[in-house]
Order: sequence, then C-alpha cells, then structure tokens
Amino acid sequence: MTTSTGVRPGSTSQSHNRQMRFKRRTAASDTMAIVAVVSIAIAVALFLATGGPRQFGTVAASVTSLGIIAGLIGTDLVLIMLVLAARIPFIDHTVGNDRAMALHRKLGKPALYLLLGHGVVLLIGYALAAKVDPVAEVGAMWALPDLPLAFVALGLFLVVVVTSVVAVRRRFPYEFWHVIHLLSYFAVLFALPHELSEGGVLAEGSAERVYWIALYVVAFGAIAVFRFGEPLVKSLRHDIRVAAIEVVGPNVVSLHLSGRHLESLRSSGGQFFIWRFWTGKTWWHSHPISMSSIPTGSEVRITVRALGNGSTRLGMLPVGTRVWIEGPYGLFTDAARTAPKLAIVAAGIGITPVRALLEDSRLAPDEATIMLRASSESDRYLWDEMQQLADRSGAALYTAVGARPAGVDTWLSERDLARGVSLRSAFPDLLVSDLYVCGPQSWTDLVVEDARAAGLPAHQIHTERFDW
Amino acid sequence: MRTRVVVGSVLASAAVLGIAWGIGSASPTITGTSTTGKLTDGTYAGSSVQTRFGTVQVQITVSSGKITDVTALHLTDAEQRSVDISNQAAPILRSEVLAAQSASVNVVSGATYTTEGYLTSLQAALDKASA
Repeated sequence: MTTSTGVRPGSTSQSHNRQMRFKRRTAASDTMAIVAVVSIAIAVALFLATGGPRQFGTVAASVTSLGIIAGLIGTDLVLIMLVLAARIPFIDHTVGNDRAMALHRKLGKPALYLLLGHGVVLLIGYALAAKVDPVAEVGAMWALPDLPLAFVALGLFLVVVVTSVVAVRRRFPYEFWHVIHLLSYFAVLFALPHELSEGGVLAEGSAERVYWIALYVVAFGAIAVFRFGEPLVKSLRHDIRVAAIEVVGPNVVSLHLSGRHLESLRSSGGQFFIWRFWTGKTWWHSHPISMSSIPTGSEVRITVRALGNGSTRLGMLPVGTRVWIEGPYGLFTDAARTAPKLAIVAAGIGITPVRALLEDSRLAPDEATIMLRASSESDRYLWDEMQQLADRSGAALYTAVGARPAGVDTWLSERDLARGVSLRSAFPDLLVSDLYVCGPQSWTDLVVEDARAAGLPAHQIHTERFDW
Repeated sequence: MRTRVVVGSVLASAAVLGIAWGIGSASPTITGTSTTGKLTDGTYAGSSVQTRFGTVQVQITVSSGKITDVTALHLTDAEQRSVDISNQAAPILRSEVLAAQSASVNVVSGATYTTEGYLTSLQAALDKASA
C-alpha cells in the first residue's frame, strides 16, 4: 500500500470509482429503457382507463378500439424518437447520443406502421359500424373536425420515414434529407388536434389529456432547449472564431479556434462538437468534428480531413470566421472507462479524438497501449504528438503503416496480417482493458468484431461514429 | 442488466395496465343533481345543449310521478358519423334513464359528447318536472 493522498492513476480506488460510475450509468440507462417501455403501457392504459375494456362488445367496436390503441402507441413512439434526437446531456452521458440515435432510427418504421395501421384499422372499424364500405367511409372521415390535418400529418410521416430508409437516403444530399426530416416536427404537431378532439380518451378536463399534453411539452421542450436554445446561447457567449489554419498533411488541416471562457464548456478529451462556420458557402452545413487537443480557456483545435464537399472548403476558411457550436457530445472519454488498462487503436484521421483522450487521461506507467494505423506514410497525422503524449504517460505506442490487403476483411495491414498479428497479440492485456477504437466506419467495425470474438465485453469497447 | 430491464418493464407495465383495466371496467356515471323532489305528471322539454358535434335536446314524459318516456328532440348531427353515433347511443341512454329514473347513468362508450348533451338536457327537464 502507498501512503499517497488523493487518487493515483491506476490505483485500486480509481478502479473502484470506475466501477461505481459504470454501475450508475448502467442503472440510469436501464431506468430510461424501463421508462420508455412503461410509457407505451401507459399509452394503452389511457384507452383502458376511459372505458376501454367495455369497448370490445362488437366486431366494429373491437376493430375501432385496436385502431385507437395503435394510434396511441405509434404517437408515443414518435415522441420517444423526438426525445432520443434531442441530444439531452443526460442521455449523452449515460449511453451516448450515437446509441440514442441508433434506437431513434430503429423506431422509425414501427412508429410509421402503427400510425398507418391506426388510420386503416379505424377506417374499417367506422365503416363496419356505419355499415358502409371503407372507401365510402374515407369521405365521412375527412369531414370530421381536425381530421384533414391528421391526414396531412400521416402523409408527412410517410415522407420522413421513406426518405430516411438507408437506400433512399443515399440518393439525396445530407441537407435535403435534413430539411425533409424537420417536417416530422410539423407531422407530430398536426396530429395533435385530432387526438384531443376525436374519441373520449383525451377528453377535455381529463387527467389523460393533461398527461398526453405533458408528453408533447417534454418532447418539444427538450428539442427547443437542447437542439436550439443551448447551442445558440453557447455560440453567442463563447464567440468562437477561426484563428489560424495549419496544414497537417495532404487534404488534412488543423483549425485553431479562439473564443471566450472555453473551459466552461466542460468538454472532455475525445468529445466532439458540431461546428458551423459562418461564411457564405459553408453556413448551411454543420460538421461533427472531434477536438484534437483539449481546449484552454481561449483556444481549441480541431483537425479535419477533406471527406465531403463541405469539409474540403474548411481548409480555405478566412481567419476571423465566426463559428457556432453544438456540444460537447460523446462518451469516447476517460469518464466511460470501466477496466484497469487502456488499449487504443486509431486509423487515419480517427487519431483526433484519441489524441485528445490521451492528453486528458491520467495514466499509470504501462497502463496504456496504443496502436496507430495508416495506409501510407502521408496519412500519419499527429503521430509525433501521439509519441510525445505516450512518452509523457509511460504508454507503449506501436505503429503500423501499410494498406489493407485487397479482398480480405481485416483491419490490419497486409504485412501485419502475414506476420500473424492480432488484437490479442498487439494488446496482451486486452481482456482487462478498455478498448477505444476510432477510424473509418468499416475498419472500426472489423476491430470491434475481433474484440468481441476475443471475448471482450461490450462495455469495455468504446467507438466513435460520425455517420449521424 | 438486460434481465433487469425486461423484468422491470414487464412488471411496471403489467401494473399500469392492470390498474387502468380496473378503472376502465368500473362503470363511470355522470352524476346529475339528485332528483328528490316529486315529479309532476306532464311532458317537459330539456334545455338545448350545444356540443361540438351539434345540438342535443330531449323531452321527458312523466306519469304517476315516474319517467315513462324520453324522446330525443335533437341529436348531434355535425356529419354522418355523428348521426350514426347518436342513433346508436340514444336508445341505450333512453333505457338506462328509464331504469335509473334519473340522469345518473353510464356514459355510452364512443358517444361521449352525445351522452353528456343528452344527460345535461335530461337533467334540465327533470328539474322542470320537479319544480
């Protein structure tokens, strides 16, 4: 035992702290999952509590009841999707916005099917009750108060989901898809009047109505605060400008940005911001980019490689350009660690969050092992800085330059693969390590696949995605 | 951890649904002011009640101090669907009122507006009859 005061890196008490933090995060994410499921149960309960059990007497009534339930669940799912997309800090700290968005995407189709089903099933139910055919019932339905608006809402949902299906989404530029996606706010709002006026479930003066409106307030409130309000306030307050641009490699530049009170953004190494550069050609496109060093009070640096048209222009930004931010986001940080050792694998421009993570970590000697990959000599961005940070913290750093072999699914270079290098041989302590992976998506997936095959539990694998 | 989520979700959801089922199965009533006063024989038209689906007005017939008939003078008619709903609900409401001899009867599910209008108008007619 040592007699030092405070928490030493790699000490038992630090490991204990990590375990506690991990337990708290898990408890919080489990609670959120339960709350989400229960909200679906409550949606059904609203119908049951307003005489639902007595509304299955006839075939027509049963069909109508099912239609109403589908609408309630579908709308609840859509509101959950809004909350997941609101970038609420608590959700980001607990599971990460990337996982929240993965769930958001998964819910899109079920929500749409439920809402379409809601429309069709109710049409059939009403037609059965009125003893006319469903097509004739469309006209009668259209005449109900607030129903035309609800039909518009359904149409908008359809457009939003169809344009978000991967195959369709690829055909459009990101901005076009994004504008279409904003229509979902209107879809949710346009659906509200008919929910409140039709049927008795959300009748005036009922507790059910209060609960339902509260859901809307929470969902739209979260969006308004965290997607619009907070980023705007931060952007104005910190007044970030482009201070200098430094060429790091072919097509790769570091942007040095200056601002006020940047320490109060409370960002951690490994996190990213979504940046918006206010020039005539770039303002309409925002970029999620990791910090490549931890900010001082007045300076922050990001390093970016030209990937799309928008990021190509970033190397030509005039000094003094105003920069707006959303963030910081991401769980690719020291706070997410759960294991005693640290293993880092980065490729190409994926080095940037890893560089800041290393800078922000207090490490014991031999705690960390780092492997850097580059396809060619010219892709070794910031490797000199990584070497310095590794030396400073007593970390082992390995490098591997060379392209991946054609036709083989591997994250290794052709030479390393031939030598029999694997994740286990590169990181002998892998199973007691937190593995941080950042690089191109397909490459990252292969590293994660290897790690899982080696028996590394999911909570010890940390990746950062930029495809959202 | 996943088991915890599944078990927690299932238990909490079952509790919520169970409670709602209980509430929903119990018969809700719209309670009119009690009609303790003796009803005078005759025919009384209730007030004309505006709902968002149209006007509702009923008329009662009292003989030997009992309600012997309820006639709908006007029912919700905003569009065909309101007419359908009212036509379905009115006979149910009529028989329930005749059985209960008051405006304290079950809401007809799916016909909330009709029921409320019907019973409000009915109560006004009862008030006239007992005045």
